[in-house]
Amino acid sequence: MFKKFDSRISRRDALKLGVLVTAALGMGLPLSLLTKSAVAQDLGTEQLAFLFDQKKCIGCKLCESACRSANQEARDEQVKWRRVLDNGGDEGEGHFLSISCNHCADPACLTVCPVTAYTKRQDGIVVHNAEKCVGCGYCMYACPYHAPQLSKKTKRVTKCHFCYSRQDQGQQPACVEACPKKALTYGKLSELKKAPGGVATLKGLPSPTITNPSWVIIPKE
Amino acid sequence: MELHWHWLVVIYLFLGGLGAGAYITSFLAEKGFLGKAPSLTRAGYFIATPAVAIGTLMLVFDLGQGFWKPWLMIGLLSNFTSVMSWGVYILSAFILAGFLKCYFAFKNKKAPELLTWAGAFLALCTAAYTGFLISVIKAIPFWNSNIIPVLFVVSALSTGLSATSLLAPLLEKGTYHEGRANQLHLLLVVVEIIVAASFIMVMLNGSNGPIGTESAKLLISGKYQIVFWGLFIVLGLVLPAFIYLQQILSQIKKTGDIPQNITANDVGSAVLAEAAASSKIYGAHSPLMIIGDTGVIIGGFALRMLIVFAALPVWDGFSIY
Ligand code: SF4
Ligand code: SF4
Ligand code: SF4
Repeated sequence: MFKKFDSRISRRDALKLGVLVTAALGMGLPLSLLTKSAVAQDLGTEQLAFLFDQKKCIGCKLCESACRSANQEARDEQVKWRRVLDNGGDEGEGHFLSISCNHCADPACLTVCPVTAYTKRQDGIVVHNAEKCVGCGYCMYACPYHAPQLSKKTKRVTKCHFCYSRQDQGQQPACVEACPKKALTYGKLSELKKAPGGVATLKGLPSPTITNPSWVIIPKE
Repeated sequence: MELHWHWLVVIYLFLGGLGAGAYITSFLAEKGFLGKAPSLTRAGYFIATPAVAIGTLMLVFDLGQGFWKPWLMIGLLSNFTSVMSWGVYILSAFILAGFLKCYFAFKNKKAPELLTWAGAFLALCTAAYTGFLISVIKAIPFWNSNIIPVLFVVSALSTGLSATSLLAPLLEKGTYHEGRANQLHLLLVVVEIIVAASFIMVMLNGSNGPIGTESAKLLISGKYQIVFWGLFIVLGLVLPAFIYLQQILSQIKKTGDIPQNITANDVGSAVLAEAAASSKIYGAHSPLMIIGDTGVIIGGFALRMLIVFAALPVWDGFSIY
C-alpha cells in the first residue's frame, strides 16, 4: 500500500507542488501585506462603527435591499442582515431605525459560540464563519440586537459582516453607499461619538452595557 | 425575531440535572450520608449515564447544520469562553466517569475512590452547568440571574433522588430500605420552594428590568400559569413536601426511633432489626411515595420548560418608539 502510494507522487509532481506552493506564498504574502497595510492606512486598528441619523432617515429601505444584493448569504428569505424598523407613526411622525450587527466591543455572540465561529478583527468588525457554525442557536439568545439569524434552508446562522471585503478593497459598506439621505454612515467609533446628539441606544432598545455596541444613533425629536 | 430553543433543550436541561442528581444520590447513600440506605447505593449510578447521554443527544438533534455535518462538532471544544463548550467537556467527562462507576456498581465491585469522587464532582458540575448555560445570557433577563444555577442544582438533586428512589425497589428486591432519604428529600423540596419563590420575587419586582417581570408574569398569571401552579408548585413541590413529611412522621412512629440517629457505623443486630422492621413498613416503595417522587420528576421537567419557554429577549427585535 505504502509503496504504491509513494510511487504515485513522482519527483516531478513533488517539484510542481513545491513550485506552486512557493508561488502561492510569494504572491500571497505581499498581497496580504498590501491589503493589511491598506486597511491600516484607511481605517487603522480602531473600532469601526455605524452612525445612524434618525432625523435624516426616510424609511426607503434602500440600505436593506443594497445589503441583500451585495451579500450572497443575506439573500436568504429568512434572514435580514440589515433591517429598517419603524414605529408605525403617521407621515412626518414616523421614526425609523436601520439596524444590523453593531460589531460590539464586548460581542456576546463571540463569547458564547461554542465552535468559535465568530472572530473580531483588528478594526473591530465581528465576522461570523458560517462554515464552522453548527446552528445551535446559542448566539441568537446572546445577541440583544437579533443580528445573528438562522437560515432554515442552510440550517446555519448568518450575520452582517460590515462588508469587510468591500472595505478591504477601499469601498464603502453596501448599505452606506445606497443611502440617498446620508442617514447611514460609518467610520471610526471614536470619531462618530463626537457627533452632536449621538447616543448608544433608544427608548425600548437594549442597554448598551450588555455588549458595548459600536454604533451611534442621532435620535429624532 | 424567533428564538428556537424548545422541547429538545428542555429535555436536555432536565435529563442533565436528573442524571447528575441520581449519581449524587447513590454517592451519598454509598458514603453513608443517607443513614442505612443500602437500596439507594446502586440505582442512581445506573440512571446517571443514560440520562445525561440521552439528554446530550437531544442537544445534538437540536443542532442545525452540525447535525448533518457531524465533523463540525469537534469545534464544540474550541471556545473556552463559551459555557456551552465547558458543557461539552463536563458532560463528556461525566458520561465517561458515570459509565465506569455504573460498571463497578453493576458488577457489585468496589470502584476506585478517585473515580467515585471524580464522578460526584463532575455530577455537581453537570447540574450547575445546566443553569450557567442560560444564566450567562444577559440578553434574556429571565435567565440572567445567579439564582438560576442554584435552582437548577437543587432541582437536579431532587429529581435525581426521586428517580433513584423509584428505580431502587425494582432493582433491590428484599433489601429495600430507605434510610434517611426522606429527610434529605423534604429538605431539598423546602429549599427549592424558597429558592423558586425568591427567584420569582426578584423577577417580579423588576430587579432584572421590565422584561424579566413580563417573563415572571407569564408564569404566575399568564400563558404558563397552569404549568407553573399545577405542575411545578403543587404537584412538584407542595404535594411531595407533605408526602415526605408524612413518611418521616410515620417512620418515627412505627420504628419508635428517629431515623437520623442511625449512623453509617451502625453494624450488627441493631441494624438488622431496624432494617427488618422498616422493610415491613417499606417493603416496597409505598404508593404515596410513588406519587411524591413522580410529582417531583414532573415538577422538575415543568421547571425547565417554564424557564426555557418564558425566556423573553430584552428587546423583541422590531419594536421602536
Ligand atoms: S450586535 Fe450581536 S452579533 Fe453583532 S457583535 Fe454585537 S452581540 Fe455580536
Ligand atoms: S448558532 Fe452557530 S454561530 Fe451561533 S453559537 Fe451556535 S455555532 Fe456559534
Ligand atoms: S437607505 Fe438611508 S434613508 Fe433609506 S431606510 Fe436606509 S438608512 Fe433610511
